[in-house]
Amino acid sequence: MGETKTTGKAEKPPRPIEILRDRMGGVSKELQASVKEQGRIRKALRSALAGGPRTVPELGAQCELPPPTVLWHLMAMRRYGEVVEAGEAGDYVRYALKGGE
Amino acid sequence: MADIRTRYDALVIGGGITGMQAALDLGEQGYDVLLVEKYASIGGIMVGLNKVFPTLDCSSCICTPRMAESAHHSRIQLQTWAEVRQVEPEGDGFVARIERKARYVDEDTCIGCSKCELVCPVDVPHEFDQGLGARRAIYIPHGNAIPQKAVLDVEHCIFCGKCEKVCPTECIVFDQEPEMVETRVGTVIIATGLEITPMGKKPEYGGDRFLNVMNPLAMERVQSSNGPYGRVLRPSDGKIPRKIAYVQCAGSRDRSIGIPYCSRVCCMYALKQALLLRHYIHDVEVTLYHMDIRAFGKGYEQFYRRTMNEGVRVIKGKVATIKEVDNNDLVVRVELLDEGGRVEEHRYDLVVLAQGLVPAWHAHGVVACAEADDGFMATPEAKINPSYTTLVGVYVAGVAAGPKDIPDAIVEAGEAAMAAAGRLQRIGWHRASAAAAAAH
Repeated sequence: MGETKTTGKAEKPPRPIEILRDRMGGVSKELQASVKEQGRIRKALRSALAGGPRTVPELGAQCELPPPTVLWHLMAMRRYGEVVEAGEAGDYVRYALKGGE
Repeated sequence: MADIRTRYDALVIGGGITGMQAALDLGEQGYDVLLVEKYASIGGIMVGLNKVFPTLDCSSCICTPRMAESAHHSRIQLQTWAEVRQVEPEGDGFVARIERKARYVDEDTCIGCSKCELVCPVDVPHEFDQGLGARRAIYIPHGNAIPQKAVLDVEHCIFCGKCEKVCPTECIVFDQEPEMVETRVGTVIIATGLEITPMGKKPEYGGDRFLNVMNPLAMERVQSSNGPYGRVLRPSDGKIPRKIAYVQCAGSRDRSIGIPYCSRVCCMYALKQALLLRHYIHDVEVTLYHMDIRAFGKGYEQFYRRTMNEGVRVIKGKVATIKEVDNNDLVVRVELLDEGGRVEEHRYDLVVLAQGLVPAWHAHGVVACAEADDGFMATPEAKINPSYTTLVGVYVAGVAAGPKDIPDAIVEAGEAAMAAAGRLQRIGWHRASAAAAAAH
């Protein structure tokens, strides 16, 4: 008797990341929306900062974003090395893209 | 990560300064200790503080050596990211059931390089920074964390796989699952610490509604050089605050919120923060409204005097309400107690509520130790054996037993460790452990 040959492609076992994603029921709509919004805000802040250093209220006005939202995202960008301080303007700190200060 | 063994001399629940000290005091006497911490790093509240009163030592600078000592001690086994689910008496000792939460990272191979964190595309408010700063969905808990190992917050993971691709040691384990482990211990020390009073407890102060009403732990982080802003700013718009008020007894000594006790540290941490604000912002005006100042510890009264000498305004007054006005500024309405109850209103850029301390953990359903009426662990022999709980062989130390400052918590940790060691000797647990190890 010869060996039995299987035809067609064998199904790949799911990767661990796929197992976890399935276990968690995928990515929630809220999280998807939040990540998309994060991307939109970061793009707007980068674009505004490309014009030079700005304070939080200035960025809020230019990007049409609430100042608390601007501050939170700006500080996230600062923490991960994308934004640095670039002096003060009255009661506010100016921020710049790293290398653009 | 070492497996949890089947037997230890002592289980310490909580890896803050109290739990670490208790574990070290037992370890130094030759007892084997399992130190269980619910967060991904040991260090507790203290490692997140800016400076400590009255010495103004850098808090993390004096806490991290204890963390390293606890982590490297040959008699102490750390188990972070885990929770003690049940402790039941068995013979002279106890059976403890501990849930090791899924970290989704292999602690043995993770080298703490942060590459996964840097490449992760999801930013999340960071608990360590009281939500004012960001972390990623996969992250090292903080710069001083021990262990320096990543943890994946699966609730915020979008399963993009970037962390897995960039990891140099292939330590991401997406299919890791939580597990329940069981061990036998001769004695238990509860060192589960504190939370601050919820910010919404007093609606008239708007602590959970107004952006510039800050909790004191947030102010600790904001004042820290490695904090969320890198300097003192207010959360609504990043303004450098020039007028700041502290409202004392905002979350304790208040029957209306069910917290009648004095939290014992609020006067001193508020005075310390106020003094430091005067150092950090040269033209800041800081006013502290209080019912009375309780500065009872070593060097505390002198610190209080120093604070006033350095320009902090300390006013005996009861704050009635805080209102938010334009530009997210705040108007504080205060009854001046030394001026016949005259009422004034003042406008501030930022207000800090001196919230009280509440227990971070409850024994109910986990271990059969009674709690006192205030929610902290009952200590039936509080005067003569302050670490004794209502269950023989289980001891309590630090804020788990009631509000106290760091020096008192450390002293109490030592007392609990000695009481636990005495118990181990009386029941012969340590000798039995040694015999079992020799036979093995």
